[in-house]
Amino acid sequence: MKFFLPDSQDLVDPSFDFENEQRAKDRRRQRHDLYAHEVFSQPAFDGFLVSKGMVDGFGALGSRYTLSQRLRLSQIGAPEFFRVNRAPHPLQIMGDCGAFTYVKEQKPPYSVDDVMDFYATCRFDYGVSLDHVILDFLPEADAPGAGPRAVPAAIRRRQELTLEYASEFLHKHTRGRHAFKPLGVAQGWSPQSYATSVKRLQQMGYDYIALGGMVPLKTQDILRCLQAIQAQRAHGTRLHLLGVTRTEHIEEFYRLGVASFDSTSPLRQAFKDAHDNYYHNGLTYTAIRIPQVEGNTSLQQRIASGQISQNQARKLETACLQAMRLFDSGRRSISKVIEVLLEYEDLYAPDAKRNHAKDYERTLRDAPWRRCACDICKHLKHHVIIFRGAERNRRRGFHNIWSFYRHMRDSGTDTHEFTVGQQVAGLKERACRTN
Amino acid sequence: MSDELRLPALEVHQSKGRKLYSFAVDGKLLQDFVTVSRVRRGDGNELSGYQRPEALAHIQEIRAYLEAPSPLIPNSIILAFDSRVRFEPAKGKTSLPYVRTGTLVIPLEKNIADPDKPGFVVDGQQRLAAIRDANIHRLPVCVTAFITNDVRQQTEQFILVNSTKPLPKGLIYELLPGTDAHLPSPLHRRKLPALLMERLNLDEDSPLSGRIRTTTNPTGTIKDNSVLKMIENSLSDGVLFHFLRPERAHGADVASMGEVLHHFWAAVARVFHAAWGLPPKKSRLLHGAGIISLGHVMDAISRVRNVPLIPTEAQYVEKLMPLQELTHWTGGSWNFGNGERRKWNNLQNTPGDIELLSKYLCTPYQKQASRSL
Ligand SMILES: [Zn+2]
Repeated sequence: MKFFLPDSQDLVDPSFDFENEQRAKDRRRQRHDLYAHEVFSQPAFDGFLVSKGMVDGFGALGSRYTLSQRLRLSQIGAPEFFRVNRAPHPLQIMGDCGAFTYVKEQKPPYSVDDVMDFYATCRFDYGVSLDHVILDFLPEADAPGAGPRAVPAAIRRRQELTLEYASEFLHKHTRGRHAFKPLGVAQGWSPQSYATSVKRLQQMGYDYIALGGMVPLKTQDILRCLQAIQAQRAHGTRLHLLGVTRTEHIEEFYRLGVASFDSTSPLRQAFKDAHDNYYHNGLTYTAIRIPQVEGNTSLQQRIASGQISQNQARKLETACLQAMRLFDSGRRSISKVIEVLLEYEDLYAPDAKRNHAKDYERTLRDAPWRRCACDICKHLKHHVIIFRGAERNRRRGFHNIWSFYRHMRDSGTDTHEFTVGQQVAGLKERACRTN
Repeated sequence: MSDELRLPALEVHQSKGRKLYSFAVDGKLLQDFVTVSRVRRGDGNELSGYQRPEALAHIQEIRAYLEAPSPLIPNSIILAFDSRVRFEPAKGKTSLPYVRTGTLVIPLEKNIADPDKPGFVVDGQQRLAAIRDANIHRLPVCVTAFITNDVRQQTEQFILVNSTKPLPKGLIYELLPGTDAHLPSPLHRRKLPALLMERLNLDEDSPLSGRIRTTTNPTGTIKDNSVLKMIENSLSDGVLFHFLRPERAHGADVASMGEVLHHFWAAVARVFHAAWGLPPKKSRLLHGAGIISLGHVMDAISRVRNVPLIPTEAQYVEKLMPLQELTHWTGGSWNFGNGERRKWNNLQNTPGDIELLSKYLCTPYQKQASRSL
């Protein structure tokens, strides 16, 4: 199976100095920063998923790209923009329209031509047809005798629209003799409706089909859909799961024809999840929170209002960082570290329902970063487990991607061998150094 | 155990009943006897104190400056002492009626709590915090102090010193190229663009010579901000990026960057000569949207592979020719496609309009780049 990483301009700054928390003054965003594939000497994913909605920005969701970056992307193409030649194994780039960015609209804000044009100018390897997400899941509509009124017309309309776009997309793809491989999108509200979509897409001529709108579904519902699709799936038709990672069911997905999927969750969990921030051998650990005094809004407000002393906050923050440093060199006990961490937590989150004592205890006792073989953990040491600022948090996210990918490879869904590249080792060390 | 610090000082009689003390002291010592009065509300809701919290990012900047070789902090720290601090005049007469030399005597107490210290910082808390944190042995600073037990006087002075108007941005940009100091990051980032803009505006052979409006060139018609933006875009994502040289002065091959900019804008002047001579009101060419969008065109042209790294003026002219029939700088209307039509002067210096115009102007180079594959 192939794992695509959705792009949202996630990079780390190799000039970041972890001790003084400063960057090189002449660092330029993106140009001097590193993508995950530039950090690891072993593969951590198979490709990028680049969304039109992410690049252009839509409505209130502004773009993560500056205008200059967007123009450069369209002029030099995605492979050069993402510097995929620096990856330890060949990376492919898939384009989609980012249907979740306009899910509330009546109709997608783009035409098939707009999307086609985006894929061609960016020189993607794969292009997903234009679609409109269905958020509702109504499996009861599959019951015998449920009748057409079980599904509102607006929902049916989205599926129909998506299929019409897929048909137009394939025609234009052939006529324009485009180099990228086209994927049709199946949208549905139930196992049967997904299966119908897949059937019709196959009739149009698609043999690679993306399943959209499954992000909010429960794993069991996804499996039910895949099983229904299985009855319609032609030999040789491959499936792509848009936005879905359910690590524990990877093998089952694989058996049901899923050839690829994309997900940001290994990255996002590193700094969004309440507990599961660090992946290791199929387990997850809670990262150690040491927020910056200047950067924690509620703490800043309480300091500015005079409720708590800035000096006190800074002292505790420094003490926590110091305790982690000493712990990692074996000169501070777990209980002593937790004591100071909790003292700081009392200050920055006095209303927390439960403190992190138990989670921290487990994280520190197992100290999983010491056993991780990835380039980040090898060089960054305990900084990778500290929940603090984008440079640490994103590196932990990169580690999660690596760890997740390795776990997936080990689960027996591997279809091909990869060679491990060493040509960019110098770069990796720069990205991870701690001094 | 109590002790005292004796510092040579000047006492200045400034007005009736108002005396100032001027002295020098190692900034590292100051924390022993001064503190910051943090603003807060007490139990009875009364306001006490007057200072805001330290701005850590700002302190980091000052600190980096202090750790660089031979830093200089010319402006005085301003302190308010309570009456435990006293002045002992030196013996003998002074020739001026308003000033006398002597010794300022400051009581020192070990392990004294912050609120009990005899001095409060009225101005300079960020500098003092930076001196405290900096990895330096010492840094003597000039101090101006007054003695009062009245917190209102302190607050008054705090407001007065902190409510001055900051320098206009444009003046700062114009001053930047002439500095060598370790500057705060936001200013540091603007220094190279400011230097390149200065060249464009001052070099006699520059196509933009004298045309950029700055504090010292008020008759210029092109906005300094538009030129800075154009240069910054190119430094990040365009042709100028390739001339960054971290090891050199200004971190760049400034001469080559100047050449690129001169060649391109000279070519623009030739290709669009009619619109070039007109003020922004009569032509959108030298208006913010025009300048920034053409900067993107410069980058797009320079990316096309069959052009050497520093294109000549003639090469830029050749590449710009296709735009002649697509542009409507001084009249008529723009046809951006998809039914988007705009009267020539209905293009504003907004992100939306700049994007519209930039994409439109870059289209010919996009196709060229695809074909050259
Ligand atoms: Zn790791």
